[in-house]
Amino acid sequence: MSSNARRAVAGIACLAVVAIIVGCAQSLRSPRKPEEIVAGHMAQWKLKNPDRADQWIEEEKERHKIQPPADNRDLLKGEQAKGHAYGNYTERDILIWARETEKLVVEGSRIFHNAALLGGTIGVSCDMCHPDAANTHPETYPKYQAQMGRTALLRDMINWCIEHPVRGKPLGADDPKMRALEAYITAQRKGVALNYGKH
Amino acid sequence: MSHTRTLDARLAGAIVGAVLLEAVLVLWAGTPAAEGAEAPVGQHGAAAMDVQLEQLARLLPETDVGQAPAGFDPVIWAAFVPKDNELTPQRVALGRKLYFDTRLSRDGTVSCATCHDVTRGFTDQRKVSEGVEGQLGTRNAPTVLNTTLLETLFLDGRSPTLDHQATMPIVNPIEMGMPDGAAAVKAIAGDAEYQKAFKEAYGREMNYEDIGRAIGAFERVLVFIDSPFRRFLQGDRKAISADARAGWDLFNGKARCMTCHPMNLSNPLGTDNRFHNIGVSARHQDFEELAARALTVLKSDPSEKKLEELALSTPMGELGRFMVTKIRSDTGAFRTSILLNVGISPPYMHDGSLPTLWDVIDHYNKGGEANAFLDGGMEPLALTETEIDQIVAFLFTLTDQRLAADNARQIAAQRKAARKSRAFRDDDLAFRRKLAFEDRVMGDKSPEK
Amino acid sequence: MRNRFRSGEAERSEGPRPRAGSPQTLDRRAFFKLSAAAAGAALANGLTPPQAFMPVQVAGAAETAGAPAFRFAYISDSHLYSRELNDRFARALLRAVDDVNAMDPQPDFVFYGGDLAQLGQVHELELGASIIRKVKAPLKVMVGEHDWYLDMGRRWRQLFGQPTYSWDHKGVHFVVLMSVLERDFWTKRRMTPMERMLTVAGLDNGVQSPFMVGRDNLEWLERDLRGRPANTPLIVFSHSPLYKLYKNWNFWTDDAEDVQAILTRFDRVVVIHGHTHQMLTHRIGNIHFHGLLSTAWPWPYAPQGMPELTVQMSRPDPFNPNDGCGDGEVLVHADGLVDKVYNLWNRSPITVARGYTESGGKECVPPKPNRPGF
Repeated sequence: MSSNARRAVAGIACLAVVAIIVGCAQSLRSPRKPEEIVAGHMAQWKLKNPDRADQWIEEEKERHKIQPPADNRDLLKGEQAKGHAYGNYTERDILIWARETEKLVVEGSRIFHNAALLGGTIGVSCDMCHPDAANTHPETYPKYQAQMGRTALLRDMINWCIEHPVRGKPLGADDPKMRALEAYITAQRKGVALNYGKH
Repeated sequence: MSHTRTLDARLAGAIVGAVLLEAVLVLWAGTPAAEGAEAPVGQHGAAAMDVQLEQLARLLPETDVGQAPAGFDPVIWAAFVPKDNELTPQRVALGRKLYFDTRLSRDGTVSCATCHDVTRGFTDQRKVSEGVEGQLGTRNAPTVLNTTLLETLFLDGRSPTLDHQATMPIVNPIEMGMPDGAAAVKAIAGDAEYQKAFKEAYGREMNYEDIGRAIGAFERVLVFIDSPFRRFLQGDRKAISADARAGWDLFNGKARCMTCHPMNLSNPLGTDNRFHNIGVSARHQDFEELAARALTVLKSDPSEKKLEELALSTPMGELGRFMVTKIRSDTGAFRTSILLNVGISPPYMHDGSLPTLWDVIDHYNKGGEANAFLDGGMEPLALTETEIDQIVAFLFTLTDQRLAADNARQIAAQRKAARKSRAFRDDDLAFRRKLAFEDRVMGDKSPEK
Repeated sequence: MRNRFRSGEAERSEGPRPRAGSPQTLDRRAFFKLSAAAAGAALANGLTPPQAFMPVQVAGAAETAGAPAFRFAYISDSHLYSRELNDRFARALLRAVDDVNAMDPQPDFVFYGGDLAQLGQVHELELGASIIRKVKAPLKVMVGEHDWYLDMGRRWRQLFGQPTYSWDHKGVHFVVLMSVLERDFWTKRRMTPMERMLTVAGLDNGVQSPFMVGRDNLEWLERDLRGRPANTPLIVFSHSPLYKLYKNWNFWTDDAEDVQAILTRFDRVVVIHGHTHQMLTHRIGNIHFHGLLSTAWPWPYAPQGMPELTVQMSRPDPFNPNDGCGDGEVLVHADGLVDKVYNLWNRSPITVARGYTESGGKECVPPKPNRPGF
């Protein structure tokens, strides 16, 4: 390599070193927001586990207890199924139903536990006041929600919480995140009797 | 050339049209004087009693007391009429007579209508009220409009019913000044018309509790809920302006008003009937010393009368609900005000310290005033100027249309005053650059970042 | 079976002490509380709030105990982010410090119960330190898991010293025990420090390990308590409750029995813990457990494993971010038992008097909530 070229390489290397040092100093000085941290977390995980991208369901279930959907295997019994086009259920049907239902619920759990996904601006996620969706009482809706001065459905209260304790922007009723959150919150109350209007 | 002539013609036509439209609007809105703005002023700044009665007759020409008022949920209405004071035309008429009767005061100059003036939003639109001998109290007079749905009366809630509340100002030394209920009864006992009216209304001799019941019955029919906002709630989107609609969204959302001021078709009042310390009295003096003093006095004389005096005539009134319950967390707490007709009942807050609705929103925007008992629901709101205007626009739509002229006057007057001064504003707090309690704890410097 | 409980006679035989409620011992707050007798006057609608003022010596205490010897204040579980990110948590901690500084007379010291930062970041810890150091009385601090797992306590130790320590004050031996160590779950998953911190930060995150005191701290505790007589008044602070309430939320210490075994020889021990963000009371033999309130947010009660002694607090209103939160005081009696005062914001203070845990819940019962719990 010519001396000029060597000097050029050395110069670039020095600049690079300086840039790295400055960059590290910057990141030490300015606090990263939790949203950035969590997004970075996800990105890192994906980088490290490219072959496990489909295992987000299992990963989420490892982190958080999630109630499974109802067991529908009773539908496999009975004699009438043989002659009934729409009623002829199979094991595979039941597996697909369960898997699909579970996906929405598990997605809801992911959002529920993640301030960034919720759109919150103060680093607060639902699980901070509602671990495992405790104290959400989905079985009591519709009810007059005192905080809102009107009768509310579960999704209205979810939005109220997103707006106030979480300080985010309320979600549209058909927003996929809202649907997932409703699914997860309802799922966690499996087995509790419906009692709408109960305060 | 013809092009220009057409333009001129169009312009002229537009101007004529505009002038005609304005004339129509002015005629339709009516002139202010017709609604009693410049009504002859009587004792203590109130409109003369006969003027008020005339105005009342215009506002409420007839009332079918047997039914819930128009648009009012009949089930809720029935639940709020006490069993021992069902509404009858005789009771309401008697109550009306008593409401305007200055004989019920010690010097014959003050009636209920002095501080709850028909021509001034059924309040007096003054910071604090004036009673016998020109004495000034420490409390802003709330409006009597729509008080039927309140669960407690007085801003510290020390009175359980309208009927009971009506008997209290009469014996308050700085309001109507009668020594006791017997003196009040004596003052009108000789009046044969009253004797007849009480017999017809309650079937018994005139007595002090019935005076309260009759006045309460009259107040119950003062239901003024027919506001543009109500028509909006019932489905007419055009009933309020776009700004007011935006204000309604903020009211439910970012501005966090709805939780303490719920308004819906079953309960149009805009109050949760609860007591909250929002920091208004914290601007006056040191709470904790006052509270200790209050306990000493009340231990020696827990009768209602001493409490009444204390509540209105000494700074201990600033302790609010605490004076009634002696519960520490009630210190400095006052009942959430009714929002219906809020536009025509300035100045605002229990001490009348906030002159305009803009000042009110400024107070909430910065999260109230830090004190040891501040309601944690008070948070800095980060509302922009436009958002504040929208909320105020919304609040002015809560006035009954029969009182629209007074409302319009208030909008103009309050806007003018708010343009000159916004004394309660603090953008550093509102936008969370500074935090409540920070000054008290950290001193001058803010916490390290 | 050895009698662990001191009788009223034994207390009284130690000589007269000024009683709580007499003028010279009243602080402003206690003065307010005397109004319980006057509370009947003019209550509108007969709406007596369910948790009205109670004097420190609640009805039924029958003066078995006499007055407390001294008191300290506490603040706990502030979970700070930077103030630019989350002003609400910072404001709540400022409010707690304001409360404590307004106490008159001042407490003997102020105890901070752990979880000062939310994610253990340097700027969070420093913000918290700058605020809690504004208390006027002497400050003692304890570490929580949120302070620890980003850098394994490095910054915490620089700011506040060793997490496990003890001291004596007016005859009472105080111990601060680091109880939130976890078995390594992060190395095999190749987690970054922040991933580890985020995992621990999730209350219901099942990937983390249960809390434990650990062998080293257990041995430290044994050495620290060696030779002390059985009647030593003893108060132990831990961040996690030193018993097993609900494993899913790490309301749990895995080697709790080992700790209890070390403490069992004492006449009475009080354990005061953070982490649970709620009113919590328990008793196991000679150990009386009390929880600390958080300034940041309240936790719901666990679906299983709740101690019978706990009188729950009413469900907080989410509109008020201070509801269910607050700070408080601990009134320490000469024998080491305590009256635990929960100063709930926008609610009446609630006292769990020594007589309550002493009598196994029969006397001095705190007021019940007016709604079902969570």
